[in-house]
Amino acid sequence: MKSIPLRILAITLLKELGLASLLLLGVSFVVFVILYAAPGDPFSVLLEGQLPSEQALAGIRAAMGAQQSWYGQYFSWLHNVLGGNFGTSLHSGLPVAGELVKVSLNTLYLTLGSMLVTLCIAVPIALYSSMRGHAVAISWPLTMLGYVFSALPVFWLGYIAIYVSVHGFDFFPLSSSGASDGNGWLYTLVPVLVLGLGSGTISEVIRYLREEMSRVMAEDYIRTERAKGASVWRHAFKEGLLLPVSEIIAAKIPFILGGAVIVEQIFNWPGMGRMAWQAAQDRDFPVIMGIALVAAIFVRVGSLIQRIVYTAVNPQGARD
Amino acid sequence: MRRSTRVKKYIQTSGEVSDFSKLPLHKKFSIPDLLYVGYGLLIVFLVLVSYVLGAFNLLPNDPQQINMDMLMAPPGTGGHLLGTDFMGRDIQSRLILGIQAYFLPGLLAIFISLSIGIVLGVLAGYRGGYAETVITYFTNLVDSFPRLVLILLVIAAFKPDIYYIMMVMGITGVPAVANAIAGKIRVLAQKNFIEAAIALGLRTRVIILKHILWYNCRALLIIQATLGMGEAILLETSLSYLGFGVQEPTPSWGNMVQSGANYFMQGNFWPSTAPALAILFTILGFNLLGDGLNNMLEGKRSR
Amino acid sequence: MKQISIIVVLALSVLGFVAGESQAADLKKTTRPNGGTLSYGEYGRPATLDPITSNEMISMRLSELIFNGLVGISERQEIVPELAQRWEASKDGRTYTFFLRKDVTWHPKPGEEAKPFTANDVVFTYNIMMNPKTITPLKVRYEFIEKAEMLDEYTVQFTLKRPVLNALAKFSFKIIPRHGPSNPLYLTREDNFVQHPIGTGPYMLKNVTADREIVLVANEKYFKGRPHIDQFTAKPFADQNILTQALTFNAIDMIVLVNPRSIAEIQGDKRFILQPYNALSYSFFGYNLRNPLLADKRVRQAFGYAVNRQEMLDAFFNGQGTIISGPFAPGSWAYNLDVQPMPFNTQKATDLLREAGFKPGADGIMQKDGKKLELTLMVPIEKESEAVKRVVLAFQNYLKNIGVSVKVEFKEWQAWKENVFADHSFDIIFASWVFDDSADISSLFHSAEIGPWKNNFGSYSNPEVDALIVESKLTLDHEKRRTINRKLHALLADEAPYTFLWTLTNYSAYHKKLQHVAIHPYKFFSYADDWYIPVAAQK
Repeated sequence: MKSIPLRILAITLLKELGLASLLLLGVSFVVFVILYAAPGDPFSVLLEGQLPSEQALAGIRAAMGAQQSWYGQYFSWLHNVLGGNFGTSLHSGLPVAGELVKVSLNTLYLTLGSMLVTLCIAVPIALYSSMRGHAVAISWPLTMLGYVFSALPVFWLGYIAIYVSVHGFDFFPLSSSGASDGNGWLYTLVPVLVLGLGSGTISEVIRYLREEMSRVMAEDYIRTERAKGASVWRHAFKEGLLLPVSEIIAAKIPFILGGAVIVEQIFNWPGMGRMAWQAAQDRDFPVIMGIALVAAIFVRVGSLIQRIVYTAVNPQGARD
Repeated sequence: MRRSTRVKKYIQTSGEVSDFSKLPLHKKFSIPDLLYVGYGLLIVFLVLVSYVLGAFNLLPNDPQQINMDMLMAPPGTGGHLLGTDFMGRDIQSRLILGIQAYFLPGLLAIFISLSIGIVLGVLAGYRGGYAETVITYFTNLVDSFPRLVLILLVIAAFKPDIYYIMMVMGITGVPAVANAIAGKIRVLAQKNFIEAAIALGLRTRVIILKHILWYNCRALLIIQATLGMGEAILLETSLSYLGFGVQEPTPSWGNMVQSGANYFMQGNFWPSTAPALAILFTILGFNLLGDGLNNMLEGKRSR
Repeated sequence: MKQISIIVVLALSVLGFVAGESQAADLKKTTRPNGGTLSYGEYGRPATLDPITSNEMISMRLSELIFNGLVGISERQEIVPELAQRWEASKDGRTYTFFLRKDVTWHPKPGEEAKPFTANDVVFTYNIMMNPKTITPLKVRYEFIEKAEMLDEYTVQFTLKRPVLNALAKFSFKIIPRHGPSNPLYLTREDNFVQHPIGTGPYMLKNVTADREIVLVANEKYFKGRPHIDQFTAKPFADQNILTQALTFNAIDMIVLVNPRSIAEIQGDKRFILQPYNALSYSFFGYNLRNPLLADKRVRQAFGYAVNRQEMLDAFFNGQGTIISGPFAPGSWAYNLDVQPMPFNTQKATDLLREAGFKPGADGIMQKDGKKLELTLMVPIEKESEAVKRVVLAFQNYLKNIGVSVKVEFKEWQAWKENVFADHSFDIIFASWVFDDSADISSLFHSAEIGPWKNNFGSYSNPEVDALIVESKLTLDHEKRRTINRKLHALLADEAPYTFLWTLTNYSAYHKKLQHVAIHPYKFFSYADDWYIPVAAQK
C-alpha cells in the first residue's frame, strides 16, 4: 500500500454518513418515545413552586403551542432540526443549539482528555505485558494497578481527588476557581485524570490491546520476518496498535460520556452530562433531545474515524 | 479476512481452536493465569456465600437495626466489626446483604444480553443478508446511546427499580455479544467449517447449538457473563450517586458508598471506604477471572 | 431539600425573628468603604434572571439584587418605601395610590443614557404579569387586583376587586422596565430580557460566564446610594459536598444555604460566620385519609406520639431547628405557642392504637378486623437527600416500635408529584411546606381544596376547620383573625392530619471579612447594598 486509495475512502465515508443519519433518526425517535411515556408534564415544571391547576396547565400549553399528538410533536421537532433549529429550552428559554455547542465543547475536552489519560496508561502496560520475555514481576503489578483504578466507583475517586488536592496539595481543582492566576487550566487536569482513571475503561483497553498485540506478534508473517531478522515494527504498529486503539476509542465513547455525567457534577464542569441530568429532571424535552443527538453524533464520528483509519491501514479489508 | 469493526470487550472475533488441549497441564496454564482464576473463583465463592447468608438472614447483626446513639461509629466499636453507617446500622451485615441487590438483577442483565445477543449474533452470522443488515442497524443504534443517560431516561419514565436498570443494561450489552458471535461464525465460515458440517449432513440446529455455540463460543460467553456482573455493580454505584440506584432501606454497595461519601469531606472516611473496597475487590475478582479463563480456554499465551 | 411552596396571604409578623439587627439608621453609609468582591455559591443554577418567569429560590435571590418593588418589607416585617415614596389607601380599602420616587433610573445599557423609572413601568409590569400568555407563579397572588392605572408620570393607582388584609405588602413585587422585554404584551422565556435583565436595583448584570457564573456589578446610580461591594458573583455548584469544600478553601466567600450536615464542619472554622435566618417553612408527615386505617384520628395521633422529634433533630440536623405543634409556620403571627408539640411517648401511642381497636398480630404488627397496619410512605428522590433518607428511615423505625409496618417507596420527583397530588396513591408522605410570607393555610386543610392538583392532598375534611378558615379569611381585623387562627392551630394539632415535625433553622455561612451582613428571611439579599468589606480585606 503505497498511498491511501481515495476512492475507497470516499465510499467508506459515504456509507458511514448514510448509516449515521439513519442511526441519528433512530436515536431521536427512541428518546422521544421514552420521554413521551415519562410521567410529569414538562409544562408543569414551569410552575414549580406551586401546584399546577389543570387550568393553568392548559393555559401554558396553549401559550407554548403544544397541543399536537405525539407523532405530530415528533415530526415538527424533526422538521425544525432538519432546518437547523433545535428549539429553545423550556426552562431557560435559551436556544438549544447555542447551548449545545458550548457544553458539548466542554464535554469534548473532558472526554478526549480522559481518553488520552486512559491510553497513556493502558498502552504502555499492554505493550509491555504482550512482549515475550518480559518479567511478569514488572508487568503484573502495572496491569493490576490499571485494573484497580477501573474497579473504583468514579464519584468516590472524584471525592478522593478533591480531598487530596485540597488537603495535600493546597489547591482546589475546580475549573472556575483558579482562573484568576492564569493557571486555571491546570486545575482542569484533575477531573480529566479522574475520568481517565475511573471510567472503568482502562482494564478493558489493556486487555484488548494485549490480545491484539500478541495475536499480531504470533502471526506467521511476523514470525517469518522475525526469523529473517527484519524489523516487524511497522506492521505490528499498524495491526497491533493503531487499529485496536482506534477501535477501542470508538467503542468506548458512549461509556465515557456516561462517566462524564458523574464527573461533571462533582467538578462543577459546565458540560453536556450535567446539562443532561438537569434537563432530565426538568423534563426539558428540547434539551434532552438535543443532547441525545449530539451524544450520538460523538459516537458516530468516533466510529467514522475508526473506519477511516481502518481503510487507510488496510484497503483490501475495507473493499471486501 | 474481514474484521469486526467494533470492539467486543476483549473477546477475539478471530479466535481459533488450537491443538492447545493436547499440551501437558503445566504448560497449559501459566502461573498468573492460575492465580487470577484462583482469586476470581475465591471472590465468586465469597459472593455466593454472602448471597446465601443474606438469603437465610444469617448475619452478624441486624442490618436494618437503627441506632441513633451510634452514627458512623469507627470499625470495632460496640460489636460492629466494620463500624456503623449514617443511621447507626451495622456496615458488615449490610455489606453481606448488599450482594442481594446485584445477584439476581445482575444475572437477569447477563441473561438478557447473552440470550438476545446469541440469537441476533447467530442470525446475523449464519443467515447474513437482510437479517444481518437489520441486526447491524440495531446493534449500532444501541451502541449510539450513552448508556447512563439512556438508563436515567428510562428510570425517570418508569421507576428507579434495580430490575429496570438491569434490563436496560442487559439490552445495552446485546451488541457486544451479538457482534462477537457473528464475527466468530464468519471466521468459521471462512475456514469452511460450516460448509464441511453441512456436507457431513448435520442438521442446522446441531451445527449452531453444538458446533458453533458450544465448541466455539462457550469461552466467550462465560467471559461475557463474568464481566457483566462487575459492570452491574459499577453502574448501580454511579446511579446511586445520582440518587437513582437501589433505594433505602435496601442496602446495596452503591448506595452505601454514596451515603457514606456525604461525610467523606468531613473526615469520616470509613462508611464509604468499606463498601468501595468491597466493590474494588469483587470487580477485580470478576475481571481477573474473565482474563484467566480467556487465557486458558482460548489458548492465548499473553504473558 | 425539595420543597413545595404555597403562595399565601402576605401578612405582618412581629414575632420571633432571627435575622440580624439592622443598624442602618445609626451608621452613616459614608463610613463604610466601597470596593471588594463577593462570590457566593448556590446549589444549582438559575434558569431565568427576571423576577416574573423565575420560579426557584436561586433566581429570586438574584432578582432581589437586580430589581426593586414599589414597597419593601423590612426584616421586622414592616412595609418600607422603595420605588414608591409614599402611598395612600382609600377608606374602603379598594384603591391604593402610590407616589413614586423621581430620582430612579434603570440600569443603563452600555454606551446609553440611563432611562428614568416612571409610573408607566409599573403599569406595564402589572399588565405583563397578568397576561394569560405569561407563565408565572406570581399570577395567583395578584388576582385580587382589578386594574392598574397611571395617574401621572409618577403616580400609579391600583383598584382591588375586594379589600384584602395587608394588601400593601403585596406591592413588593419587582418592577421591570417597559423598554426591557421585546414583546410589550407578555413575557416568555424565549425573550432576551429573561437572560439580560434590566432593573433599578443595587446591582446590575455584567455577564454570564462560560462556566455559568452570574456576575453582577454595583449600580453607581442606585437611588439608595451606591452599594459598597463592587461585584457579586453567583457560582453554581452541582454537588453540595464540593460546595462546602469551596467555602473552606476560599474559592467562594459565602454559601447561601448550608447543608445541615456541613454545619458542624463550618462551625469549627474561625474564618467563617454562620448566620441563622428564619425560613417560614416546616416539615411534616402527611397522611392520606382516603385510607380507612388513617381516617381514624387516634391512629394519626399515635404516630405523632411514637416519633421522637428531638432525637431526630439532634442527630440529623445538629439540633438546628424548632419542633412545632401545628399547621402554621413558626415565626408567623398565627402560630399558637400555647399548644405544645406532642411529646415522645411510645406507651401512649400504643394505648391509642389499642383504643382504636388494633391488636398486635402474631408477627408483631398491629391489626384490626384482620387488616394489618401496613402503610406506604412515599418520598421523592433527590440527589444528596440523605437528610430526607435519615428522617424517613428513623420514622419507619419509630413506627416499627409500636407495631406499624411502613414501606418506604422512593419516587422520581415528577412521578412523586403525580402520585401524591393527582392519583393520591400513597398512605404517608414526608414533605415540607414553604410559606412565602405567612399564614394562610386554607388551601391545605379546607375541604374545597380536595381534588387533583390541589393542596389538600390528604383529603382532610372537617366542617369545624372549614368554618374557622372561612371566618379567618373574612375577618379584616388583625387581632380577631389571630384569635381565630390560634383556635385553628389548636384544633388541627389535635386532629393531626399531619404529624408536624419541625422548622429548620437556615444557615448562611460567609467569610469574616464581610461586614454588616443582614439577611432577609426568604428574600435573602434585601440588604446587600449595606454589606461591605473593610479595605484591608478587599484584596
